[in-house]
Amino acid sequence: MKLLVVLERHLQALIRVLGQSIAWLTFIMVILTCLIVLLRYGFNLGWIWLQELVLYMHAAVFMLGVSYAFQKDQHVRVDIFYRSFSAKTKHLVNLFGHIFLLFPVSILILWFSWDYVAMSWHIKESSPETGGLPFVYLLKSLVPMMSLLLMIQGVASFSGCILALYRIKHETNDKEDKAWNG
Amino acid sequence: SKEKTESGQSQKAQKTYQWKMVTSWPKNFPGIGVAPERFAKNVEAMSNGRLKIKIFGAGELVAGLEVFDAVSSGSAEMGHSAAYYWKGKIPAAQFFTGIPFGMNAQETNGWLHYGGGMKLWEELYEPFNLIPMAAGNTGVQLAGWFKKEINSVDDLKGLKMRIPGLGGEVLKELGGIPVALAGGDLFASLQSGAIDATEWVGPYNDLAFGFYQAADYYYYSGWHEPSAVLELIVNKKAFESLPKDLQMIVKVAARASNQDMLDEYTARNNDALKQLVEQHNVKLKKFDDELIRTLKKTMQAVIEKEVAKDPQMKKVWDSYSDFQKKAVEYHRISEMEYYLNRDK
Amino acid sequence: MEWLALIMFLFVCLILLLGYPVAFSLAGASLIFAGLGIAIGAFDDSFIHLLPNRIYGVMINPTLMAVPLFVFMGVVLEKSQVAERLLDAMAQAFSGVKAGLGISITLVGMLLAASTGIVGATVVTMGLLSLPAMLKHGYSAQYSSGIIAATGTLGQIIPPSIALVLLGDVISSAYQQAQLKQGIFNPEPVSVGELFAGAVIPGLILVLLYMLYSFGLATFKPASIPEMDKTQSRFPLKSLLSALLPPLVLIVLVLGSILAGFATPTEAAGVGATGALLIAALHRKLSLKTLQEICVSTLHVTAMVFMILIGASLFSLVFRGFGGEELIHQFFANLPGGVITATLIVMLIMFLLGFILDFIEITFVVVPLVAPVLLAMGLDPVWLGIMIAVNLQTSFLTPPFGFALFYLRGVAPDSLPTRAIYQGVIPFIFLQLVLMAMMAYWPILTTWLPDTIYKS
Ligand code: NA
Ligand code: NA
Repeated sequence: MKLLVVLERHLQALIRVLGQSIAWLTFIMVILTCLIVLLRYGFNLGWIWLQELVLYMHAAVFMLGVSYAFQKDQHVRVDIFYRSFSAKTKHLVNLFGHIFLLFPVSILILWFSWDYVAMSWHIKESSPETGGLPFVYLLKSLVPMMSLLLMIQGVASFSGCILALYRIKHETNDKEDKAWNG
Repeated sequence: SKEKTESGQSQKAQKTYQWKMVTSWPKNFPGIGVAPERFAKNVEAMSNGRLKIKIFGAGELVAGLEVFDAVSSGSAEMGHSAAYYWKGKIPAAQFFTGIPFGMNAQETNGWLHYGGGMKLWEELYEPFNLIPMAAGNTGVQLAGWFKKEINSVDDLKGLKMRIPGLGGEVLKELGGIPVALAGGDLFASLQSGAIDATEWVGPYNDLAFGFYQAADYYYYSGWHEPSAVLELIVNKKAFESLPKDLQMIVKVAARASNQDMLDEYTARNNDALKQLVEQHNVKLKKFDDELIRTLKKTMQAVIEKEVAKDPQMKKVWDSYSDFQKKAVEYHRISEMEYYLNRDK
Repeated sequence: MEWLALIMFLFVCLILLLGYPVAFSLAGASLIFAGLGIAIGAFDDSFIHLLPNRIYGVMINPTLMAVPLFVFMGVVLEKSQVAERLLDAMAQAFSGVKAGLGISITLVGMLLAASTGIVGATVVTMGLLSLPAMLKHGYSAQYSSGIIAATGTLGQIIPPSIALVLLGDVISSAYQQAQLKQGIFNPEPVSVGELFAGAVIPGLILVLLYMLYSFGLATFKPASIPEMDKTQSRFPLKSLLSALLPPLVLIVLVLGSILAGFATPTEAAGVGATGALLIAALHRKLSLKTLQEICVSTLHVTAMVFMILIGASLFSLVFRGFGGEELIHQFFANLPGGVITATLIVMLIMFLLGFILDFIEITFVVVPLVAPVLLAMGLDPVWLGIMIAVNLQTSFLTPPFGFALFYLRGVAPDSLPTRAIYQGVIPFIFLQLVLMAMMAYWPILTTWLPDTIYKS
């Protein structure tokens, strides 16, 4: 149990710090997009690498932000039934989901993307556009990064679920004990 | 026992193969998108149904620019695309589509199949488990659609144009702004003025895209793409798993595709251009000689700079430019002289 | 084996109903099903090997870059309390007018819808601010909750709208597929800009219908919308103008620049977001801490949308691998009654799916399957896109699962019965069906403006 507590706390913190830092990229994206428009219309200036830079940030935002959004429970659920579930059932659904949906998907993406990204690193893949950024291999690395971060958050959420279920069980036990004694 | 082996062999020979081909074009896109369909039909007929190829257009299984990776990994056995899309992976690949002021379709085919080009191409793709084949050519393209007249090099300054590859690099050297845009955004961007010009293929495809609704001037000729080879890429392992006769069928069908597309463009461009000029009042214009000379000079500087960066590129460029020199010399007294004579 | 695709669809729906986050349910359930298919030899595993390529395709799709930018703009507007000021000023201006509060809420909803692309925040803001005021002035609980929920979801169809950006991306590729399949060799492209233009007139008609309804109700059933006393003797011109300025500036910046052809939707979103930041700074609502909150909210919404897109990609790969595409084509090919029946069925299915799925899931999972078939039957892509958007907006309002109703329930006082909310939205659902019928009868309502702007 102690291990789970420590695990949950540290992994959550890791994902949180990363998510909050990455979030600033949205602000930079806004400013750069505006700048690109101004430069193009006002000064007849434009660079493909600048366009690509914004695209890189855009990709980084959601690929690296998915796990933080997961931590904050920001991913939409179909909650017709879920909203009326008891806390315990909710935790059980989440536990089921972490094990049978989240982990298999993350592992699969990590596994399948490995060669894809390794090849890109091997040849130091560059932009297909003349004057584009020569960092396609970094961009592609976001794919396994996303699944790694999801797995980390998955372990944290899993621990959280187990701890919560444990607490619920304890509370009911306490209540039952009291009922017996009373 | 001899009978047994024979029946075993014939069983293997009768095995049917179900393959997937991913392409960089929408399914049935005029010219380039029709070629994969025809290729698949031919292969199926020639093999008596033993090799069936299902075509997936751009975005159906993977995005158009993911074709190389999908075939390289073996997820799809075949792909239909253009080599210059892979210049971020293999800088030398762009020579195998075409380069500004380079060879036309006839000359390029000569270089590929009888001038050592194919061997170089195969070498480039070998580390990626891919076998390339030439499987289509658009012929000489046109220079593209412009919202304003281009009379001199000064008019290129600040010109926002969608133009890929080395042509884009040349435009940049001359003060223009090459812009990266997906095919789907092309029309809207030209219309809105987000770009001032775009090149695409030639009258047949350009008419289909409706560019005449967004820009008035259509310039010739396609200095930046004197021909464009379309490629068939086959996963090496998959190819080697085929019996010898099917391998040969694939090769010959690709070769037929290569010629067939050129024939189709040759036949259809004429009518399409007529329609553009007569029905849609497109202003057809020729680039000024001085401008062409400047473009060519810039191109030479650009290519020398590029080639110096990459030994593979140098090797391909040496072979390409050698062949071009010889071909041009002979074609000056054959093809070109004949074209001039014919018009006298 | 194609029937397996159908079973898979049902299986995914079942998993979705459990309530685990949609993106991972879509992906995970498809994966489980693919695994079963591989085990019984009915599925070619190379289809799912393409997932990394698909994900990368999503990452570098430039059209979708408009999403985080529009979300950012919406969040900034929310934080700078533009809606609050606007509601105050409008309510004052319309005091003493028949159905004044209702009309001012509709106008505020319209202005907000035209300056931002997200829906939930508007319902919440207006619910918090105006619901108590309306109840206090004796407006019926039904009418009050109905008008707030309905106008709060206007942002869905009045551009700029995230729904239309996502639909635009899906519809344009469906349209290209459809035309080429028909052998039309001059396929006309369709862009997000065209969808934006196409949605303007239907959006305005809807606003008009809401106002007419409010006015009619005030005239014929004054008990549910009593006339308000004039609170001030002088018309509050100055506060009204200063409240109107920010949304008007944004509308000119974003919609103006797109419709006039100065910018692509993505560029306009960047400019609009910068404009919203300036407005927030002018109102002294922009601290470093607020900015951090804005960035984090944007990250959350963006990550949520794109993860669903990734989950839907895996779904579509597996669905295709089982031959589901052919199944749908066969279904439509054998349908009696041609294009009209097909459209009606698709609209009905989407409406029903709208009960359980968000517009994002429907856009990414369902539209790519049915749109190519419908468009190949000759439907106009802009028209179809707007019909889908209005249809999904309607399902947001439909009890018991409409999203707008959940948002409103969350902020409404406990004294307001849920039944009143449900009853209140019914007239507005009816008005939206009227709009859809109008669009079906006069498709020109959706096609005239884009044709005028883009094809002249
Ligand atoms: Na071209
Ligand atoms: Na909107």
